[in-house]
Amino acid sequence: MSTITGILRADGARAGRTRAALIALAATVAVVGAPFYFAPFQVFQLTMVLVYAVALAGLNLLVGHGGQISLGHGAFFAAGAYTAAVMLDRFDTGHLATLPVAAAGCFLLGLGFGVPALRLRGLYLALVTLSFAVFLPLLLKRLEPWTGGSMGLTVDKPQPPAWSGLAEDQWLYFLVLAVTAFALLVARNLLRSRVGRALLAVRDHESAAEVMGVRLSLHKTLAFAWSGMFAGVAGCLYTWVIGFVSPDSFSFVLSITLLAGLVVGGLASLYGPLLGAAFVMYVPNVAQDLSEAAPGVVFGLLIIAVMYVAPAGLAGLAGRIGSAAARRLPRTRTPDGTHTARPTPSGTSATSADPTPPEAEVQAQAEPVGAPPRTEEE
Amino acid sequence: MSDHTTDRPEDNLPGTDPTAQDPADPDFLRVSDLHAGYGQARVLQGLDFSVARGEVCAVLGPNGAGKTTTLRALCGMVRGRGSVTLDGTQLLGRSPEQAARLGVAHVPEGRGTFSDLTVEENLRVGAHLRTGVLRRGRSERAAVAADLERVYGHFPRLRQRARQTAGSLSGGEQQMLAIGRALMLRPALLLLDEPSLGLAPLVTRELFEIVRAVNEEERTTVVVVEQNAQLALDIAHRAHVLEAGRLVLSGPAAQIREDGQVAEVYLGVSVRSRKAG
Repeated sequence: MSTITGILRADGARAGRTRAALIALAATVAVVGAPFYFAPFQVFQLTMVLVYAVALAGLNLLVGHGGQISLGHGAFFAAGAYTAAVMLDRFDTGHLATLPVAAAGCFLLGLGFGVPALRLRGLYLALVTLSFAVFLPLLLKRLEPWTGGSMGLTVDKPQPPAWSGLAEDQWLYFLVLAVTAFALLVARNLLRSRVGRALLAVRDHESAAEVMGVRLSLHKTLAFAWSGMFAGVAGCLYTWVIGFVSPDSFSFVLSITLLAGLVVGGLASLYGPLLGAAFVMYVPNVAQDLSEAAPGVVFGLLIIAVMYVAPAGLAGLAGRIGSAAARRLPRTRTPDGTHTARPTPSGTSATSADPTPPEAEVQAQAEPVGAPPRTEEE
Repeated sequence: MSDHTTDRPEDNLPGTDPTAQDPADPDFLRVSDLHAGYGQARVLQGLDFSVARGEVCAVLGPNGAGKTTTLRALCGMVRGRGSVTLDGTQLLGRSPEQAARLGVAHVPEGRGTFSDLTVEENLRVGAHLRTGVLRRGRSERAAVAADLERVYGHFPRLRQRARQTAGSLSGGEQQMLAIGRALMLRPALLLLDEPSLGLAPLVTRELFEIVRAVNEEERTTVVVVEQNAQLALDIAHRAHVLEAGRLVLSGPAAQIREDGQVAEVYLGVSVRSRKAG
């Protein structure tokens, strides 16, 4: 511990970078080592957290960054899951082939979903999207020759190749981890791109974005499409991991759970979807342990408790704790004996003569609540 | 998934090609018999005026006269009847996004900066139309970078705040950002709606000086709507006074300023000559 604090105090900018590198290293070790440490069922749970994280990242694009609301993302999730299941069951394609098809299919479905978003907003939009979520399971039951009706479909899980020496649950974990990491990276880059800026601009000030030449209809519909694509990918991963789909797995409660998970995790935050996914995965189990009779009540109370303590979600809470810690650290003197100045909310430090320190300090500071870190890349 | 037309907006923008500068183009923006309103409420009752290329035109008048509605009709935010042409191209009946493509940059009342984006990202949204999927070329990127420099040149304070979110700026800085963002569009016509709203007098003056500099250096045609008639008249070449949706007074800014008494009657504000002010 003393060596760590020693490193942290070494030098303002370098300490920030070293600390970030240390955290990244620790996180990587934890993430890669987890399946070798935990029991198979726990590994399965972790895998499901990753699956939900992809869905929540997609929902975050729409709700968090796009400012639109969807109570129908369970439908995208189901569509992706069934796409994978039907492909595996009827056409015997490999698992990897199901991923791009589910993604593309749900992207197109999202474009269709986006059309009502052009005319409706707020609660009205929520209601229409909810109707999709209610309707899709019924449709899946009707399409029995394809979907197996109420009985659902059982499909093979991806099997670990012999050379890897991994158990099935471990192999699944790494497979899902790779897809999730890629998906989260895509989501992050999307937000920093021109499309992402347009999305945020539309949310912040619709008419101002429009007079800047941002085509509202296109970007609102695209938000649904991207968002649906991520949920579809998550659904596809779900089929891989569970190996079974049925209409009852995707009732409209799933849509509501996803939205609740995102809000609890933190809207418009980079880590919100991960935290929210963990909440969605683990808290119902905790609720079950606390009360056999009414786990729903405990789950609901826990949501209320989280929102009371952390109005900006768990990610916001983590950010607050982080910046409280950061407030302590930079008070130490830098080697040249000057205090490191921190930017105040109004950014008065930016007026200082030396242009480099603010960058470094911003890095050392915790992420601002609800905002992804900024970079210069396009 | 590109959201732009195939032609580059700056190619068909009137007024951005310096060789095409025609000082004697008094009808660069031509508004004739413009009617507009919101639902049942008719606000504009037949406006007629022209703005010459490279001119600053002030639209003055009391509350509810239709100043903001005039600007909104020009940029497509409200529908109008009649005719509005920019360098011969009809603007009426177009969406705000299409008007933006034609080079009309609107700085809305109350600024409308994107508070969760950084200053630089706000400016990049201004260049949205010029950075489409098909235009990822190096030259475009360089052009946008050059325009960022240009805007930072006009508003040095924005450069200092480049990495801050727009929501953390002061009111004056936000107004600067809104104008800078509009300039990123390389507009042929810049529409400013009440830039002085809620700002300290000193900040307002600084802002108007920058608008004057932009107009002089870049020959951007500007239509500015203002309650603060005196400030607007200081930078304007021509002025129009609106009352109850009609033009009641038009002329060179200097003349309107001198004609203080007439203006006072219509504007309900005291318009003194600069010496007196």
